[in-house]
Amino acid sequence: MTEHLTFPRVARSEWTKLVSLRSTWFTLAAVAVLTVALAAVIARAVAGEVASGDQPPPDAAGAVGLAFLPLDFLVLVLGVLGVLQMSGEYQGASARVTFAAVPRRWPVLGAKALVFAALTLPVMAATALAAFLVSQGFLGDDGVSLGDPGIAGKVAGAAACPVLLGLFGLGVGALLRHTALGVTTLVAVLFVIPVLLQPALPGDLEDDVLKYVPTIAGQAMYGSLGENAPFPTLSPGASAVVLVGWVALVLAAGATLLVRRDV
Amino acid sequence: MIEVQELTKRYGDTVAVDGLTFTVAPGRVTGFLGPNGAGKSTTMRMIVGLDRPTSGAVTVNGRPYRDHRDPLHQVGALLDAGSAHRGRTARNHLLALARTHGIPAARVDEVLTLVGLASVARRRAGGFSLGMGQRLGIAAALLGDPAVVVLDEPVNGLDPDGVLWVRELLKGLAAEGRTVLVSSHLMSEMAQTAERLVVIGRGRLLADTTVDELIARAGVGSVLVRSPEAGALRDVLLAAGAGVSSDEPGVLRVTAAGAERIGDLARDHGIAVHELTPRRASLEEAYLDLTREAVEYR
Repeated sequence: MTEHLTFPRVARSEWTKLVSLRSTWFTLAAVAVLTVALAAVIARAVAGEVASGDQPPPDAAGAVGLAFLPLDFLVLVLGVLGVLQMSGEYQGASARVTFAAVPRRWPVLGAKALVFAALTLPVMAATALAAFLVSQGFLGDDGVSLGDPGIAGKVAGAAACPVLLGLFGLGVGALLRHTALGVTTLVAVLFVIPVLLQPALPGDLEDDVLKYVPTIAGQAMYGSLGENAPFPTLSPGASAVVLVGWVALVLAAGATLLVRRDV
Repeated sequence: MIEVQELTKRYGDTVAVDGLTFTVAPGRVTGFLGPNGAGKSTTMRMIVGLDRPTSGAVTVNGRPYRDHRDPLHQVGALLDAGSAHRGRTARNHLLALARTHGIPAARVDEVLTLVGLASVARRRAGGFSLGMGQRLGIAAALLGDPAVVVLDEPVNGLDPDGVLWVRELLKGLAAEGRTVLVSSHLMSEMAQTAERLVVIGRGRLLADTTVDELIARAGVGSVLVRSPEAGALRDVLLAAGAGVSSDEPGVLRVTAAGAERIGDLARDHGIAVHELTPRRASLEEAYLDLTREAVEYR
């Protein structure tokens, strides 16, 4: 076995980098705990209001949506973790070491995306499942079960959406190379633009455009918008395709600039 | 072997490297000298493919760096101190680097021992001093047992022991037949380490030479003159167009006039001379002379 570059080796290298930082584990633990805990708190409160007659029991879409409401903002944490995978290289000068070792550069971004998904997907799958089971436990008879139509897909969406937005962040990090700038841009793209688009667009255009916005497509994957969204959304499957498209676009743009720019 | 051909790098209107051509041969230490901002670091980044030349080319062991399948075995580079992520341990930093090429973990421990960081291998790099960061950077450069070693200001932040260690390390690497290119803005450091010198200023090649040739070429020798009538001799020499300075009474340091001419002038004016010692320019003086213009017009 001669010692030279291969993509699997670059991936192993990036895996070593990802898991050798404490912040990776703190971040993932925080997301998992907060998602499940908040899902429990929300479901318990709703169950209480239903029991006291303050609100009607949620329908199936509403019940599953309640479980994943915390993800609406916790996806940002995964997004920031994604930004840091790339911008962290530029905070010191480790990017120079990294890209001197892998002078074609794009395999580094590819490997980062691969190992980020490999680590976060199982964590988010367990988190989504736990949040779902805990919240439906509190909702009792008003809850839904994994076997109900469309439910398993939404749980899968709740696992996949944060990972995809993390990869989106990775692409943003590759484009901007600066942590503060990258995080600010990510917040703007994920949370500010959707809010601004709604009043800015005329009504009919709004219906055509909003469902393709990354955040809204992401939320449609796990159904936190419920059936009562003020604008139409795509199905979870179609939304996943849209979000994968955004991720591919940003990562491809990031890879292109990575290869062309000086380090 | 590093071959730099007509290498040019522009950043907007600024020309960082301007038509640079030189070759760094294996088996000896080549010093890469120039004032701060001369383009040394930019050139080094272009050697390992981090910066793209505006024009010209650079090859390492016969190929552009990017075309090598095993870059870490071709070139080991130290470009910045503190090149490890602050949150990662020294060992994990090197381990991640080693894995890109399938280099075994045993080699990581080997280089950590070599640079004297074995005892802090599992400490996070964020807590490292500048000197420890330099040692970690040198460990990273040596990790792939490379044929070419490129080090940018490696003794920055090192204590005297460390400086001595780097000097011996560089000589040892060259003696093993490797190509060693090491930059510095201090001639005094290079004079003790390098056999060959590439001097640049404002991105241009000023000299590609040996230490001895550089001194001979620069020709800023002086003559030490001891005389009981130093004051009178000084006036005579100045009138003859020589440069005269004095650090102690009765002793003159004369430039732009040879020992013969000074002796003749003293005899013509009846001035006694007790000592007349031609002095070669020090390497530092030769270097300053060479780069003076490059510094002045920045």
